[in-house]
Amino acid sequence: MKYRITHRTEYRYGGDVSLGYNEAHLTPRGDMPQQRLLSHRVEVEPTPAYTSRRQDYFGNEIFYFTLQRPHRRLTVTAVSEVERLDEEPELRLESAMTWEQVVAATAADPSDAGMEARKFLLDSPLVEPPPEVVAYATESFSPGRRFSEAVVEFIRRIHRDFTFDTAATSVSTPVAAVFANRRGVCQDFAHLAIAGLRGMGIAARYVSGYLETLPPPGQEKLVGSDASHAWLAVYEPGTGWAEYDPTNDIIPSRQHIVTALGRDYTDISPLRGVVFGGGGSQESSVAVDVERM
Amino acid sequence: MSWYPLHPGTVGLPVGVMCELQVAGAMAAILESLLMRDYPRPHGRMDEMLSDEGAIRDSWRDVATALDELGVDALRQRHQQARRLLRERGVTYNVYGDPQGSERPWELDPVPLVLSSDEWAEVESGLHRRAELFNLILKDIYGPQDLIRRGLLPQELIHAHPGFLRPCHPYDQRLDYPLCLYAADLARGPDGRFRVVGDRTQSPSGAGYALENRVVMSRILPSLFRESRVHRLALFFHHLRRALAELAPNRDEDEPRVVLLTPGLMNETYFEHSLLAGYLGYTLVEGSDLTVRDGRVWLRSMRRLEPVDVILRRLDDDYCDGVELRRDSMLGVPGLTEVVRRGRVAVANPLGAGVLENPALKVFLPAIARHFLGHDLDLPSVPTWWCGDPESREHVLANLDTLVVKSIYRGGGQAPVFVSALTSDQRTALARRIRARPHLYVGQEHGRLSSVPTLTDAGLQPRAAVIRAFMVAGKGGYSIMPGGLARVAPASDSLSVSNQVGGQSKDIWIRATEPVRTVSLLPSTDEVAMGAESRAILPPAAAANLFWMSRYAERAEQAARALRTVLRLYRSVTEFGDGIDQQVLARLQVALTRVTATYPGVASRADSPVDPLQELQSLAFDSRRTGTVAFNLTAMLSASNGVRDRLTSDALRVLTSLRLRLGGTGAGDDPVFRELPAALDEMVTLLAALRGLEQDSMMHGQAWRFMEMGRHIERGLLTAEWLRATLVTPLAARDEPALLEALLTTLESLGAYRRRYHDTPRAEALLRLVLLSENNPRALGYQLGSLREALQELPSEGGPEELSREQRLVLEAYTSLRLSDPAELVHVPEGRADRAALERLLALTVRDLRATADCLAATYFSDQQGPRPLGGVPPAVEYPRS
Repeated sequence: MKYRITHRTEYRYGGDVSLGYNEAHLTPRGDMPQQRLLSHRVEVEPTPAYTSRRQDYFGNEIFYFTLQRPHRRLTVTAVSEVERLDEEPELRLESAMTWEQVVAATAADPSDAGMEARKFLLDSPLVEPPPEVVAYATESFSPGRRFSEAVVEFIRRIHRDFTFDTAATSVSTPVAAVFANRRGVCQDFAHLAIAGLRGMGIAARYVSGYLETLPPPGQEKLVGSDASHAWLAVYEPGTGWAEYDPTNDIIPSRQHIVTALGRDYTDISPLRGVVFGGGGSQESSVAVDVERM
Repeated sequence: MSWYPLHPGTVGLPVGVMCELQVAGAMAAILESLLMRDYPRPHGRMDEMLSDEGAIRDSWRDVATALDELGVDALRQRHQQARRLLRERGVTYNVYGDPQGSERPWELDPVPLVLSSDEWAEVESGLHRRAELFNLILKDIYGPQDLIRRGLLPQELIHAHPGFLRPCHPYDQRLDYPLCLYAADLARGPDGRFRVVGDRTQSPSGAGYALENRVVMSRILPSLFRESRVHRLALFFHHLRRALAELAPNRDEDEPRVVLLTPGLMNETYFEHSLLAGYLGYTLVEGSDLTVRDGRVWLRSMRRLEPVDVILRRLDDDYCDGVELRRDSMLGVPGLTEVVRRGRVAVANPLGAGVLENPALKVFLPAIARHFLGHDLDLPSVPTWWCGDPESREHVLANLDTLVVKSIYRGGGQAPVFVSALTSDQRTALARRIRARPHLYVGQEHGRLSSVPTLTDAGLQPRAAVIRAFMVAGKGGYSIMPGGLARVAPASDSLSVSNQVGGQSKDIWIRATEPVRTVSLLPSTDEVAMGAESRAILPPAAAANLFWMSRYAERAEQAARALRTVLRLYRSVTEFGDGIDQQVLARLQVALTRVTATYPGVASRADSPVDPLQELQSLAFDSRRTGTVAFNLTAMLSASNGVRDRLTSDALRVLTSLRLRLGGTGAGDDPVFRELPAALDEMVTLLAALRGLEQDSMMHGQAWRFMEMGRHIERGLLTAEWLRATLVTPLAARDEPALLEALLTTLESLGAYRRRYHDTPRAEALLRLVLLSENNPRALGYQLGSLREALQELPSEGGPEELSREQRLVLEAYTSLRLSDPAELVHVPEGRADRAALERLLALTVRDLRATADCLAATYFSDQQGPRPLGGVPPAVEYPRS
């Protein structure tokens, strides 16, 4: 399946911004087995005085730009063409190992992949597993249970026990608060799942990207109705990383496009920066379109 | 948040050091005088001066003999002299979180810590290896991370350490010595061996204090110092300068621009930042003085941007860039990381070096040393256990009482815990915390410190000491400062030392085996700096501090003069019951309240009468009340701290006197009528001295010009406000002369008036003298004329014919004044009670002067709107989420 993704972010300021420094994680990953990057460009208005691209510590591409002329509006539009080459999720193999075996093997995996995976076992800025979350996860990890079965059930329970609510949390709501209120958005559910898994000794990373949404039958798809999305991936030695989407309780496949991988949201927020000036107010809006090509 | 993090023990004794000196009785009578004879030899510890047999060590013999001959009284005198020198030179450090003003005088003990060349050689070679090793570890962490792959370094210590800054990975691998500066805290155990109790790799502090200690020691014990063949410190600073110059990315530019980046005045070691900047000839800057544009770092100075090549930072690395590092940092330079990454500016120490400030690393150093260097470290660390290792964790938990427990991250705000001082509940809670997150903790043995003779109320007493040694890496490797900073515990009994106040410092004397070549002995900072280039640059923060320093000085002086006048009138009214004076006093009191904005004031409302005497005292001494003399002086002193590298040593001495005067006010048997006038007189005199030095000893360049402009603007404003508050509504004709006389006194123009007019003061004549005159340095006309001249000297944007906005404002005020007719100004129009023309003129002047100050601030000072995160303050509008 080929997609064209248009991700447009706009900031409007109450006064002139004299200087702006920004970094964007907007380039879909081109180095994953299930996904190919066909083309990508970012347009910034007003024209930046300085731009650069680089790979961050986790291999994601960062687009860096600075604005040096006074402006009251900033728009960043990323247009990417991606091919998603997916196996049928139904065909994903069950783990051969129990979850305890995965925990032990992850800790001991001598390969580079194993060393890489262990970076995602540790606490990160937004994910310090609270004991109650680990206890909640433990219910799915009964002794001797097959690894993938336990993970699937854990993800399903999050989907069942938590309510999607865009008003309940902010980007910095800690996992413990999400857990206590049983509410949040995709970011929160991904963080929650990661916290529980890391608490069990399982390497888990945060995945940001896009999800193609289909209109209700008989209706036309609305422009800008798609959204950036977040889910997670877990590591199984020998097999590698497998993705899970707790918000929708599905195994990401053809409709999920990966932009960036990190320990949590703070590593890979789509656009962040510092501005000088801007008056009292800042407003922003985001529109995402995921079209089939 | 914009607060700089608390760093326990940055210059204090390294935390984790516990000193329990048990003191034995009188020692063997080898020594003659009381000073040495009464020095008790400590039990179970090594003493730096005395051998285990109680004999004086060879390296100490000359010093001990000389001090002995001097005797305790003379030594106390030298100590007093040292304190006076330090105070005059303004040597201070700041204590965080102290509501009583954070500044503390630096304490120096007059007895040096003496080490022989042989002893020092051991330290030097040990630290060389250790610094080389840390450098290699740093390169590996911000490079291939082989140490983790090989199992020599547990992953948690890097990847779960907040000091590991992912945006800074990887370093430029071509650089041999990314770890430019390194400092170690050393303690000598009972076996006579030195051990490292702490490593500093972020932005080690203390080298400047060591320098200052040396300057003072060489003054209070000049002949002893000269004869002791002590290794000089100057060479280290030459090495430092060379090392920093070598880091400059553009090698073809012959003189790279180096700046010293400070978190600002509130930082614990701000004094040192300012001292080092002055000494090394670097411009002292705050984050807001620098700006990133077109992929480079620039220093803002007088509307120009000067390229910056190297930043010597005293700001913790994560605070250096709000874009890529700590997003809440307002102290850094947004965009800096990207410029570093592209190799267009160098930062020392490099961003990310804080990852090495992790006590758990000590556990793994021996194995890493064998891996990298092929042999063991010859300078061991104090024994340390990392709780991330299950066996070590059990050891720590089983031996908690004998250990110090530390977090692996210094910046986390968790102070080290001396477990033996805890209650059993606290101990249980600590054990629980360790079990929950074991990899975040280490247990460390208490340092067993040697003692060193220190002057106390009871003569020389042994005090536990820790040495901080400093290294700098140039192209060819590390070189050490031959000396350093010693810190001694404040008392001999058992205690834990952290960032508490009360410890003293010592100079460290390394005795040379042969005569020392006299490299220029360090002069005081304002005599010969190594480079004078930095003076030509005037960063926004410095310009603002100079401007405000003289505005506050002017406010303080004016308020003090007015208080003197009011006080005199008050006496005359209460003692002689003079009716005229009563009218004048009432008018002046209202004016004083209005001009200083110290509402409600005495004459406000009848229902809440303020005691006039208490009010006068408060207006003089209450430093927490806005508008008082003390408040303005405090603000002036605070602004002056930001520009001390630009002031002469005489000016610094006057500032110190003012600070001391401010400290000792408010009490006495007759506080209002005896102490208050004396205090006000003294303040006025000191402020006059400061002004005189500014005129006579300061280069009349841009820095001076900002002080001048600040003074003229403030004096102009105050003069206008006084005239408005006293003369616009005329008093009865009978009372007016007395009011005019009081006003002339307040405005320091009574003498001039008498010389010129020889009669009872009249309003019209007064206005000629204090409003219109361009020759009376107290007159408004003089201020405006001087301002016009000063503004012409500022760099302009347009052509020479074009006036800047501030020039236009001053010209308007100046012209209005010139066109005024004094007779019309004093005229009270028909049917009105006030002098309308005077009010109009003064209101316009005040408005224009205020606008001029705002214009200068907008053009030359730091951005009024500091940086904030894209999308909010902090995120008011968050990045929209799915």
